[in-house]
Amino acid sequence: MGRDDGKDGTMRQVTEPEKERAQAPPPDAVASGGRPRMLAPELGHAAVSGARHATADAGAGEREPLFEIEHLTVRYGGRPAVNDASLDVAERQITALIGASGCGKSTFIRALNRMNDLIPTATVEGTVRYHGQDLYAPEVDPVLVRKRIGMVFQKPNPFPKSIYDNVAFGPRVLGMEGELDGIVERALRRGALWDEVKDRLKHNAFGMSGGQQQRLCIARALATDPDVLLMDEPASALDPISTARIEDLMFELKERVSIVIVTHNMQQAARVSDMTAFFTVNVDETGHRYGEVVEYDETEKVFTNPSDPRTEAYVTGRVG
Amino acid sequence: MSVAEAPVARAVVRGSVRGARVREALFRAALLLCIGFAMLALAVLLADVAVDGLPVLSLDFLTSFPSQVFPERSGIQSALVGTLLLMVVCAVFIVPVGTATAIYLEEYADRDRWWNRLIEVNVQNLVAVPSIVYGILGLAFLVRGPLELGRVLLAGALTLGLLVLPVVIIVGREAIRAVPSSIREGSLALGATQWQTIWKQILPGALPGIATGVILALSRAIGETAPLIVVGAAAFARFNPNDLTNDPFSALPIQILAWVQAPQEEFRVLAAGAILVLLALLLVMNAGAIHLRNRYEQRW
Amino acid sequence: MPETRVHFADELRRLEEQTLGALDMVGEACARTLEAVLHQDVELASYVVNDDDRIDGRYLEVHQGILSLMARQAPVATDLRLIAALLDVIRSVERMGDQCVNICKLVPLAGREPPVEREILARVERMGRQAISQVAQCKHAFARRDVALAEDLVRQDDELDQLNREIFRLALELGDGHHAREWGMHMMLVARQLERIGDGAVDVGEQTAFVVTGLFREFTDASHPEIEARRVG
Repeated sequence: MGRDDGKDGTMRQVTEPEKERAQAPPPDAVASGGRPRMLAPELGHAAVSGARHATADAGAGEREPLFEIEHLTVRYGGRPAVNDASLDVAERQITALIGASGCGKSTFIRALNRMNDLIPTATVEGTVRYHGQDLYAPEVDPVLVRKRIGMVFQKPNPFPKSIYDNVAFGPRVLGMEGELDGIVERALRRGALWDEVKDRLKHNAFGMSGGQQQRLCIARALATDPDVLLMDEPASALDPISTARIEDLMFELKERVSIVIVTHNMQQAARVSDMTAFFTVNVDETGHRYGEVVEYDETEKVFTNPSDPRTEAYVTGRVG
Repeated sequence: MSVAEAPVARAVVRGSVRGARVREALFRAALLLCIGFAMLALAVLLADVAVDGLPVLSLDFLTSFPSQVFPERSGIQSALVGTLLLMVVCAVFIVPVGTATAIYLEEYADRDRWWNRLIEVNVQNLVAVPSIVYGILGLAFLVRGPLELGRVLLAGALTLGLLVLPVVIIVGREAIRAVPSSIREGSLALGATQWQTIWKQILPGALPGIATGVILALSRAIGETAPLIVVGAAAFARFNPNDLTNDPFSALPIQILAWVQAPQEEFRVLAAGAILVLLALLLVMNAGAIHLRNRYEQRW
Repeated sequence: MPETRVHFADELRRLEEQTLGALDMVGEACARTLEAVLHQDVELASYVVNDDDRIDGRYLEVHQGILSLMARQAPVATDLRLIAALLDVIRSVERMGDQCVNICKLVPLAGREPPVEREILARVERMGRQAISQVAQCKHAFARRDVALAEDLVRQDDELDQLNREIFRLALELGDGHHAREWGMHMMLVARQLERIGDGAVDVGEQTAFVVTGLFREFTDASHPEIEARRVG
């Protein structure tokens, strides 16, 4: 497996023809008149499915990058939270982001679906490409970004509505086509929750246990049929059994949905992920803490023989 | 040495405990005394009004128009209808305006801009402005001035609306703020726009709080007399206002004031009756607000 | 930076000390074994045989300690490699102890007044000293994580292999009768066991390199003679 070690652990795995296809102009650029829309994923998806066949033939190990992140720096009020992060996230894998608190991994993951837009003082430098499309380009609609790139949060946050309405919320606001009952059932099945709730879809979501609520949030995110699921410490508020169920769910999901997970539980990162990125915490002259990507490699390597001593110190628990 | 065995220790412990218990009891007694005092004053007031007013209450009283000459044939229909209409029109005004302002201040306003900070600071101050100032405001700009509505119900309702609008805004903001940001984030992360999030998640969650706030605002407005005097509500009106923008109107506080100021004892008795009706209205409104809050309050 | 996971680090250190201590025990056993062989000391030989229980006991202790540490502390990275290496080393140690026992069992069989072939005996003595030195060296290499020292063991082990071959050749040529040949065969077996002890020391060296580099590389590989040839040539 070729690896370009020039840029602190960046892994480039895009072959040239795939890159060209992903950046070709879209077929119907004028279709939706005034409203800005995300161009490449309509195309990107087609190119990807074409590319999927190609890579399947090309053999294992060659995966098209899902995200290409270059020199990403996110600042809050001018002070960086994550500095100069570059890495490629591959499709249909689970990528884990680990590091001590204050290392910017949550900020990093939120840059992938433009959730940092919600914070007025946040600024984003560098590029984030999703299937070749720059997510922060002016013509890109953040709403469509979030349809394709879903997010699950640390503390389960079901809406104070029925289970059905929770799952149906995304499809409804996005105006998705298709029979809503079918969409809801599919999402709940994918979220490994259908059997438990099929008889009480109209019950309030708050009546469920914490683990069920989190699976509901996952099902809710899956209802918009996303390509990617971003998970920000999804199991940290749950008991071990619920955590194990969610990890099993992640293994099932990753065949169709790529997953990027932030976790402070190293054993969880070791258990579930294929690739692991380690963020270290730096302190600048003013005492402000920010994060940088120090190592990004196959999980097995990171946990048996990490290249960087800082990674070693963190995963063995000798530091922070 | 265990406490049970050493007599000295026992005495010391018990002594201090006894002292603490006495102080405790005294404090409670003092608090109860204060409450009792306040309750007593209120009870005496109510009793006085009830004694005078209860005999007057009857269906005739509610349906007759007030007469300056014949107290025995006077009633509060015009005042009651006026008050009820004032409340309705006021509500129609303050609900959208107050809610929209609260939404703007909580969801859209950039706190760093000076004008937004100015608005925020002044909304708090407006609650404390004496009601007569609002009356003058209404007179200058609604009755006369640019709108030139005249002494009509619409002017009265809008004036009262301006008076209680800050209450609605403040309570509305509290209710909106009470919706946890995790709900907001969850909605946005699913691809909803900010407006969709407000309309489908925030407002429904904040609605019980806003409704409670509106009812409390209205129950303050219902008793305000000074602005209505300045704006020109009539006493002894012998008709109901049919045209909100053209007819003169009356209101309970105005009628009560007129009757209280009358020399004859009979009119003062009528005032007591009208006060009871007003109090009953207030009670119903506040009970409604409490019921709403208990039944629909969202526990996050 | 204050040290974290102190309890874990202590346990790990203790396990390493126990393992290296076992290497010391093997070194002593080798020394006694050599004495027993050179002087036909049957008592010393039976002492070594009985004393091997201590080494076996140490093996069980370390094995159990490692299992427990893995279950409770979930070691990763260098810690994980160290644990894996210790498991391998303690197994090598146990085997080396058994090889000493095998040698010692041969001592009474060599006859009361064996015809002693000086050439063979000299070489056996040299093999024995070499083996003892290799055991000591592999222990130091591991304790200090010295890869160069570990790799040097290969060169030393070559000498051991060389001596083993010579003893074999010499024993074949022993023609002075039934007793002499029997003695010669016993010496060959002794040499074989000593050579295996040397290999065990080389294995410990390989584990040292694994802990440090994360790569497992066989220093010598019997199935790849070209490696041997490359090194020798």
